[in-house]
Amino acid sequence: MHGRVKVRTTEEERERKKKEQALKVRSYRAAMGRIQKKREAGELDNEMLSLTVQILLRNPDVSTLWNIRRECVLEKLSKLKEEEATYETPTDEKLEEEKQTGEEKDKASEKKTLPEDKAHSYFTCELDLTEQCLMVNPKSYNAWHHRSWILEKNPRADWQREVHLCNKYLKFDERNFHTWDYRRYVTEKAMVPAAQELDFCTDKIKVNFSNYSSWHHRSLLLPGLYPNQQRDRPMSEEKLQKELEMVLTAAFTDPNDSSAWFYQRWLLGSGAQLDRAPRIAAFRLESHGAVLALDKPYPDIKQLRTELVGGEKTVLLNSWLPLDKLGTSWKCQQNFDYQRNSSYSLWLSDQIVNLSPMSGSENGAHYFAPPHGTTTCSKDLLAELQTQLQSCLDLLEFEPDSKWTLLTSALLMRAIDFSANHETSLTNLAKLEKVDSLRQGYYKDLAARWTLESELARWPQSAGFPKTFDIADKVLLESLPYGQYLVIADEITLPSKLREKLGDSLPKTFADLKRLS
Amino acid sequence: MDFTTFVKPSNGGGGDADDGGQKLQFWKHVEYIENHGKQEDDYEYCMTEFLRMSGIYWGTTALDIMGQLERLERKSIIEFVKRCQCPTTGGFAPCVGHDPHLLYTLSAIQILCTYDALEEIDREAVVRFVVGLQQPDGSFFGDKWGEVDTRFSFCAVASLTLLGRMEQTIDVEKAVKFVLSCCNQTDGGFGSKPGAESHAGLIYCCVGFFSLTQRLHLLDVDKLGWWLCERQLPSGGLNGRPEKLPDVCYSWWVLASLTIMGRLHWISSEKLQQFILSCQDTETGGFSDRTGNMPDIFHTLFGIGGLSLLGHSGLKAINPTLCMPQYIIDRLGIKPQRLPRP
Repeated sequence: MHGRVKVRTTEEERERKKKEQALKVRSYRAAMGRIQKKREAGELDNEMLSLTVQILLRNPDVSTLWNIRRECVLEKLSKLKEEEATYETPTDEKLEEEKQTGEEKDKASEKKTLPEDKAHSYFTCELDLTEQCLMVNPKSYNAWHHRSWILEKNPRADWQREVHLCNKYLKFDERNFHTWDYRRYVTEKAMVPAAQELDFCTDKIKVNFSNYSSWHHRSLLLPGLYPNQQRDRPMSEEKLQKELEMVLTAAFTDPNDSSAWFYQRWLLGSGAQLDRAPRIAAFRLESHGAVLALDKPYPDIKQLRTELVGGEKTVLLNSWLPLDKLGTSWKCQQNFDYQRNSSYSLWLSDQIVNLSPMSGSENGAHYFAPPHGTTTCSKDLLAELQTQLQSCLDLLEFEPDSKWTLLTSALLMRAIDFSANHETSLTNLAKLEKVDSLRQGYYKDLAARWTLESELARWPQSAGFPKTFDIADKVLLESLPYGQYLVIADEITLPSKLREKLGDSLPKTFADLKRLS
Repeated sequence: MDFTTFVKPSNGGGGDADDGGQKLQFWKHVEYIENHGKQEDDYEYCMTEFLRMSGIYWGTTALDIMGQLERLERKSIIEFVKRCQCPTTGGFAPCVGHDPHLLYTLSAIQILCTYDALEEIDREAVVRFVVGLQQPDGSFFGDKWGEVDTRFSFCAVASLTLLGRMEQTIDVEKAVKFVLSCCNQTDGGFGSKPGAESHAGLIYCCVGFFSLTQRLHLLDVDKLGWWLCERQLPSGGLNGRPEKLPDVCYSWWVLASLTIMGRLHWISSEKLQQFILSCQDTETGGFSDRTGNMPDIFHTLFGIGGLSLLGHSGLKAINPTLCMPQYIIDRLGIKPQRLPRP
């Protein structure tokens, strides 16, 4: 029950409405009673069909009535089959005979196609009803489902007609997700080429930029039509550049409309698949144990084969114990007989990394890959990003508080050069905390992520790496994302406020683990 | 926000706090739910019999959260639920004379859990019904007529979890794989089927599904959390998709998902509370979808549930995954997964 405004009515009006409703209740009850009796008696006939129509036209959500209609259709179809079986099946000989006279041939085909036509008319009747119901409630799950059920049953289903129906419905409501879902289903059935669908999308977006549904549909088509070989972007760089141009034009048309900005953030992202395997973030080992951090949580580490190769042997690491609740960092207390002069590498499923020996007299080896991976960026794409950034900065001159422009310019800066633009992008986030205060907590956490990404990227160049990690000067930090990356350190120095806040959830260090074991 | 007072002149009931916001009309809501369905010939009531079982779940849960469950007749409700179990399939119909469906099966199980009365029904038959609806690709039909939707994946695992029968019944791995195939690259959200646009209601189902199957690590929390917190509008209410109107039920779905993901602090709780309270009907009790609209039992649960999740005083704690009072979830020994705040 959505969107029904409460209106004040007079006593008289209320009385009239009450009477009207009492009548409706009575006729509903009578029809439902009759339907149930008939169903119990197995009377799945034309009367049943007309009884259910009365109610469904008013209330297409009564799913049981659709079930009954399907039972009726199935009953009618099976009767047709019986009828068909009583027709004489023509043998080859007979067919030969029929070929001889045109007249006989016509007669035979008339006989054969008749049941098929009948069936088709049952299906058409159901399709008409769903269309009428969708006029009443275009969001009726039941009506949409009934429609596809009928079409699947009909060997002569006209899928092209369904595509046109979607075109029509999307003109009434371009955001109805039922219509879009149905469209994806029928365009596949009708074998509409993806390129043609993309054109449809482009047209829709041109009519109205504020159409998240259309941008979404587009995002499904592009990766297939313009694949990205390295899989580090959602689509080919060439296409990506064109999409960026298009989406920015859209976004600038109405900078307060979010649809295009969401799409833009996706374009700037890595295009990583949700189900991709975790990768090694950090690893450190000495003779009696090892720690491993993954770039994403993976509680079922036993599913991944971890092997240490070096010192002329291969050791299977299989006694992992979790160091956090999420399954991002792990320890293993096996003896490795580490040999200083040998080189070691670590396998995690199909990923292999080479370990670096610890510096100085320390025994052991480590590996570290900071979280913000650098993606390659062609000259052309880089130029486009810079143009876009400039456009955003120009817009900010006039509208310094434009939320989406502030966020997008920060994202563009990071896409261009995340370390050089780090401080400026943080300034934008600080500003966003004020102009978009509802989401203050989000911007704070995002700032923490960006800060850690920057610090972790710089860490390997610092003197204490990997034994000490010091961010005591980052006093604004309120959370510590990427904490698992620090598992290879012996000592972590944090701003005192953050340390206090983290309490028990302070990330474990390599030194802690040694003490514990 | 003052639209409320414009549409419905203040009844002078002392509901308005000094900040222009409203106070929870606790007893009016209790009365609203208690009276819901007392007049059987009520037009609305009659026309919604096709979802009666869910209606009862909404009402009992809201009352329980308010500590007033005893106002409803336990015995007659349990009798009603029992009559709705289909002897052939084991599933539950919304009411007698209608067909069984996963949606109402979950509602029935939830009601029985609230009344601690699961032993009253044939539980094995329910398990068979749910298991029988799983498809080779891991998805679930809602009933034998073949509609597939991520809502049904949630209903299946929620029903089995409440029955304590998730182990060795359905193929969990395949079920997970299917739900994951409904995740969208653009926003990390979920739709009703693979390729379907992200929608807060379905996101709640899928996040809840991963919470029940202990697989929240599969979510792209940063991406999805951002999209979800962007649902909050200046009124404080949340919408279900970009550029849509705010709504009390979407507020619950987004709020619950963010809570499960440990990202409740990404929206303004204060503003959301104001919005929910502005959707109360101060005359009749009950909550509507938006300020100034007609109240109904569905939005009343999600209004009360949302306030409970936001820590409103005088309400029992609600579990964000199962939308049931937390004490019942504890009593059943169930621990739906939740991510910590970063």
